[in-house]
Parts: sequence; C-alpha cells; structure tokens
Amino acid sequence: MTSYMENDTDTHRNGAADSNHHTAKKPKLTTLLPISEPLIHEEFSHHQPGVARLNNGSFGSCPRSVLAAQSAWQLRFLQQPDDFFFNKLSPAILRSRAAVRDIINAEHVDHVSLVDNATTAAAIVLQQLSRRAALGHFNRNDTVVMFHCAYQAVKKSIEAYVTPIGGSVVEVQLPFPVRSDDEIVSEFKKGLEKGKLNGGKVRLAIIDHITSMPSVVIPVRQLIKICREQGVEQIFVDGAHAIGSLRIDVKEIGADFYVSNLYKWFFSPPSVAVLYCKDNSKNVHHPVVSQEYGKGLPVESAWVGMRDYSSHLVVPSILEFVNRFEGGIEGIMKRNHDGVVKMGTMLKESWGTILGSPPEMCASMIMVGLPSRLCVMGDDDALRLRSYLRVYHAIEVPVYYQALRNDDRDPRDKDGFITGYVRISHQVYNTIDDYHRLKTAVNQLLEDGKVCSGLPKE
Amino acid sequence: MADQHQNGDTHLSKRTKLSYITDEEIEAEFSHHDPEVARLNNGAFGCCPASVLAAQRQWQLKNLRQPDHFYFNDLKSNLLRSRSIIKELVNAEHVDEISLVDNASTATAIVLQQASWAFHDGTFGKGDAVLVLHHAYGAVKKALEAYVARAGGAIIEVPLPFPLTSENDVVREFRKAVEIGKSESQGGDEENGTANRTRNRIRLAVIDHVTSMPSVVIPVKELVSICREEGVDQVFVDAAHAIGCTRVDMQEIGADFYTSNLHKWFFCPPSVAFLYARRSSKSRDLHHPVVSHEYGNGIAVESSWAGNRDYSAQLVVPAAVDFVNRFEGGIEGIRKRNHDVVVEMGNMLVEAWGTHLGCPPHMSASMVMVGLPPSLGISSDSDALKLRTRLRDHFGVEVPIFFRGPADDHRSVTAYARISRQVYNKVADYYKFRDAVNQLLQDGFTSTAS
Repeated sequence: MTSYMENDTDTHRNGAADSNHHTAKKPKLTTLLPISEPLIHEEFSHHQPGVARLNNGSFGSCPRSVLAAQSAWQLRFLQQPDDFFFNKLSPAILRSRAAVRDIINAEHVDHVSLVDNATTAAAIVLQQLSRRAALGHFNRNDTVVMFHCAYQAVKKSIEAYVTPIGGSVVEVQLPFPVRSDDEIVSEFKKGLEKGKLNGGKVRLAIIDHITSMPSVVIPVRQLIKICREQGVEQIFVDGAHAIGSLRIDVKEIGADFYVSNLYKWFFSPPSVAVLYCKDNSKNVHHPVVSQEYGKGLPVESAWVGMRDYSSHLVVPSILEFVNRFEGGIEGIMKRNHDGVVKMGTMLKESWGTILGSPPEMCASMIMVGLPSRLCVMGDDDALRLRSYLRVYHAIEVPVYYQALRNDDRDPRDKDGFITGYVRISHQVYNTIDDYHRLKTAVNQLLEDGKVCSGLPKE
Repeated sequence: MADQHQNGDTHLSKRTKLSYITDEEIEAEFSHHDPEVARLNNGAFGCCPASVLAAQRQWQLKNLRQPDHFYFNDLKSNLLRSRSIIKELVNAEHVDEISLVDNASTATAIVLQQASWAFHDGTFGKGDAVLVLHHAYGAVKKALEAYVARAGGAIIEVPLPFPLTSENDVVREFRKAVEIGKSESQGGDEENGTANRTRNRIRLAVIDHVTSMPSVVIPVKELVSICREEGVDQVFVDAAHAIGCTRVDMQEIGADFYTSNLHKWFFCPPSVAFLYARRSSKSRDLHHPVVSHEYGNGIAVESSWAGNRDYSAQLVVPAAVDFVNRFEGGIEGIRKRNHDVVVEMGNMLVEAWGTHLGCPPHMSASMVMVGLPPSLGISSDSDALKLRTRLRDHFGVEVPIFFRGPADDHRSVTAYARISRQVYNKVADYYKFRDAVNQLLQDGFTSTAS
C-alpha cells in the first residue's frame, strides 16, 4: 500500500515535511512570521465585502489557499479520472484520515471515517441502532435520550430510524440561559431516570458537544461518565461544531461514536466531516452501498459511488493553513474564544442585557441577549429580525427565541423579560467593526421604537 | 446567468449551421483532458466541458460569498430549475417525480431501503424475491445483499448470455427467471428446517437499461411489460449510463423507479443523477437515507437537502443543456454520431484483429464490446486488469477490459474491450488502441507471462 506520507500535491508551501501527520499537534517552528492581517484578508477576499459575517457556525468558511488545493485535486481527476481512481484517491483519503486521527487523538486510523456532514453520520449511527432493534434484542420500554435542542436533522433521523421500530425518545431540557455545568448535569440525570422507567434500557444517548441553538458547550465527559454508570448502551456525541472550536480527545471523552464537521470551524470546503467509531467492527455501514460494502466504514465511506471527493482530500492543506497562524489551531481557537467573549460582553453592556452562558461554557460562539423592547415573541419574530439585519444592514447573524419558564430565573433587562438572543461567532476573518455594526443596528431599532413584528416580512 | 434560461431550456434550440460548435471549440472545451491519453472509457467517469465547469465554479463562489443568503434565496429555486429540465428531458409527468441525488448508487439505496422496510414490516413476505440481471453493476448486487438479503428477501439472478445475437436472448432468459421466481421459493426458512412451499412473489425487479460490463442495451420496455403481466410489484430500472447515450422516455418505459447519472453521458461534473419515481403509493415510502429537517416532505424535497454540502453539480444542468444545444441535433444528434462512430471504430478494430463485436450494433449505444485477440491469453479477471493497466501505463490508452469466462478452445475470444465514443474523441484514439494491441501481440505479450 502506498505510504500516506507520499506528497504528490504541489500546493504545499513549506516542503515535504508537511506530510508528517504530527503537524496537527505541534505548530511548526518556522522562520516565517505568523500570517499577517492583510494576508488573512486576502485569504477570505471571496467573502462578500460589506457583510458583517457573524454566523460562521452555520456554513463555516474556507480560505483561498484551501480552495486552490481543492481545485488542484479536481483537476487531477478531470485530467485522467481512471488513473485518479486507481492510483491517487485511496492514498489521499488515507492521508486526510490520518491527519484527522491526530487532531482528535483517536487510537487508530481504522476508527476514523470521512463522510459528508454530521447529518450523514447521524443516519449511519441510527441505522445501526435500527438494525440491532430489528434483530429483536430490544424491549418495549427501551429509549433514546437526547437534548430537546438537538439539531433538527438528528430529531428527524430518530423519527425515521427509531420510531418505526418502536423506540421512544426522552428529551432532556437544556436550561437556558445557563449558569453552570451542574445545571446541565442535573437535567441530564433526570432524563436518564426517565429513560429507564418501567425496566427500560437506554439504548442510545445523543449528546451535543456544542449545541447549535441555543449554543452552549456541554460537559460531555461528565455526562458520559454518568451514562456508563447508568448502563447506557451506546453514546453518540454530536460534535458538529467542535473541530476547530475546542480541543477534542475522543479517547478521553469516551463516546462510542463522535462526529464533527470540518467545514464549520476547521476551514474545509463544503463539505466533509469526521465520524469516529470506538469499536471499529463491521456493524456500522454507510447507507450508500458500493463494491466496498463489508470492508469497514472508513473504506465504505471512501467510495460511495462516483462523486467529487476533493473536499475529503484537502486536510493536509488545511493543516498548512492553520499552521501559518501563531499557535496553529490552538492559537486560533484561543483567539476566537477570547474575541467572541470580548465582543459579546461589549454588546450585552451596550444593550443592557445578558450573556446566555458564562464564558467558560462557550467556544467560538456566544449567545447575547437582545433588548426586551425588541419583543422577540416567537420563532417568526426571530426570523424576521434575522432577515431584516441581512437585507437592511448586511449583517448575517442567527437570532434565537427562548420562551420564558415563568419562574424567578427568567432573565430580565430594565424594560422587561429577555426572550431573544443573537448567536455571534468569531473566526479569523472577523474585525471589531462587524460587532459594532450589530450593536448600532440594534440600538437604532430601539431608538426608532421598532419591534420584531413590525419589521418587513422577507 | 438567469436571463439565458427564459424559454430555451426545454426545447432543442433551432440553430443555423454556422453557429454550431466547431472542432476547435470542442477541443478547447476538453483541453483539461490529458492529451497523452486515448480516452476510450467515457462510460466509467464521464466527462465535463470547460464551460460547464466554469458554471459550476460560479455557483460554488456564489455560495462561499454569502452562504446564508445562498441557502435562503438561491438554492431551492435553482435545484427546482434543474429538476424541471430533467422532467422535460425524460418525459416525466410531474416535476415531483424527479429527485436529484449524487449518483445511481444513492438512488439504489433509496429504492432498496424502501424494499427493506417492506420486508421488515411484513408487507413483503420472507422469501419473496427480488430479480436482478447477472450483469448488474457490482455495487447494486452489494446493495441487494445489504438491504434485501439481510431483511429476508431472496435474490434471483437472470443469467445473460454474452456474446449476444439479439434481444430475444435477453427476453428469453428474463421470462425463465420470472417463472422460477413465481414458483417454489428460492429462500424459504431453511435454518428452521421448514422448506417454504407456498407460492412466493417477485416484489421487485432491478433491470439495467445499459449494462455496465459487458455493455449491452437491454430491451427495458419489453422486460417491464413482462413484469407487469406477471404481477411483479415494483420495477426499478438502473439506467446509470442511459441519459445522453440512449432514448430515455418514462412514459414509454413504464417503470416505477428509474435512475441515470448525468455525469457519464450528459456533460455534468461529478456528480449528479436523477431518480424518477412514478407518483403512486410506493413513491410515498421513498426516503433519502440521510435524514434532514425535510424528512417527510417527499423524496424530491428530502434529496434537495441532505445536510450541508456542495450542491453545485446539481445546479449546472441548465449549463449542460446549453452545451449540448451547441451541437447539431442537440443531445439526439450527439447520441447518433457517437453511436455511428463507435460502431464504425469497433468494426475497424475487429477487422484488424480478426475478432467480433460482443453484440449487434442496435444493442449498443455509445459503447461497443470489441473482442480481443485470443493470443493475449486473458484467462481471468486479474489478467484483464493487468492488460488494462499495461495499456494505461505503457501505451497511454484508457480502456476497460471484460473477461467473459474460460473459452472452449485457445482460439476463442475470452475478453472484450469496452470502447466508448464521446464528442472529444478522435479517430486517432482508436488507431492508437489498435496499434497498442498489435504491438503487444508482436512482443509476444501474454497476460499470464507478465
């Protein structure tokens, strides 16, 4: 088998040593200075100018140099596709997998598969649950436990693969705004109790590493420890946002399945995600079956019929990119975190509101309360406000509606109850001006006495 | 981009002879192909002209520029435009019947997953059968193993003779297989020692439109009729190659499900295919295996969002149509010329080598199976692969080789080359292949020796 150390791309700037997979862990000592602001700007010059891009969480971002690497792979395929298929594709996929293995500290590359996105990973995990249930091993009272704010696609996957086989779902309320990990742990324990009612077994716990909306970092290690103590059969961590936002050590975390998208915070093009399976036996399958069926998920996922695999091949080029920054990916993560906390704090002070979680419970995104006077009374209002900000202010930021709990914990500002939040992000291309524009736009709405329901409907 | 697609998409443009694409322009459109390679394997990975690649890049950049705006404002409507064009091209009744997926393998997973559930919930009985052609694509057979066999269904393979002399060869074998499927069960509950003697049903027939290896155009219309006569519940036509190299008409063919890749013969980039699902109660049970928030909104809508990914290949169908309409006769003209030339070149090769074509010309589309000289000594699949590799590495010829099985005597043809013809090919490509084989013969090459 061709060694994955082979470097046949001509886009690597720092020489052959880049194919050393250890570049993921240690930023290379280099005589070059860290990447400058103008160069960062150049790398993201394809972003629409004038847009304050505060929603990196949804669709991510990809620098020009990684896009160029992707184009180079696409061209190789177009030039001579048979040669590419027979000689180039597999070693390149293996190189990417090996690089990702280092980043997430998996024990062996056999546990690491590349798939399109976290949604595909959810289908894979839940199909395997469905197959096990079909063999008749489950009882009527067995359950799947997950957070109520789990990503909609995951919920729908449960509807598709768990509900038909008779499994029921227990939803754990995520307290929000949240003040500490303990609040989450406490709710989760309650959820597990419910899941075990009437002699039922919790067959699968789905735990977000970083929830999507509202966005909060979940204490996964703690929750998994509790799961193991409580006899939960399988644990699936949906870390869609995790890679490039916080440190991931899948051995430490101890889940059976762990997925993360690389295109959100790890600078890959759309789209590629990593699915880690603790047990690399052959019980999981890619739903699209090819000639590789039965050879293990990593090999099955490396060929799901004829497609453009170029986004799966650029992980080494991504590492090159992040290592141009001081501190590599760790440096980027730290600066993103510090930046988003600082800007979040600036906004909440200007608006007189709150942060949705303490700084230590966020990574590169933070929830900032919107002034109650804006009257975010439901999801429709939230969407209206988001569209208004996009169309009239060229600000892209998702808006979240949180219903009141009707207790003394409901957050307030000086005018009333806070029910709306923006989820702001910080990535290397952001400038302080992006956040000041948001601050001003919201303050302008207040000055004009506008409420969400009065905004133009997109 | 929008104003180019007012009314022209769905009809062949009437152009004057002067404005047809020139040979130089064709060469420029495919200038990214490796010039050292005689590319005779269009069937495997297809091809994509520079102008369609450029259109794809435009879509990719548009998304990267402002992805939220793209998602909320551009994606759905442009996927619908692609689907509408395909609906016209294949004569479907309604655009809801057309879903866009990555490739035929994905479409197969969708159809077979539905069958799998039917076995699980008892709609299909254990031991009920799924019919498939022996020459079905390897991945399809694996999918049958994963989704049907594991769920308790029986698989019946229809043997196909090769070489073939007429459609009757295929029809005859198919009828025989259907009879077998309707009679005593092939599966049964052997583990428990009870032979299942009830009449089992054929629940699904999976029929190729153009088989891959060996490549033959199957009389699908006739086979679908037989299925209807014999009470087969569902018919799924795997037409991975069909669109752009043979006639594709959903009303004429009459299948329940039909899939074809647009990146093989319809000039789209990797990768995009359509899945046609005739509106009926069965189509309501189809789901995309990657479940998103669109779950339950119908297979076409589910397929339009399988999580965040690059949908640009699905968005350039209008650009591909623009491309084919630069040719005289549009896609029909391209098909006809491809067919005529590949048959002509096939005949040239069999005359040069003293062999024969694997099937009559009317059972070929844009590919023909050309018998290889027996003295090449191909006596296994791995010999065939070795020869293919040799041709690629030493002669700059890319062509897939099919081993048909052991011969009766050493003078019989045991292997065939599947040559293709697409608009970028030159006559020199085929002479290069001819000369390469002649050189190998001269050098005393036999596969077993290398």
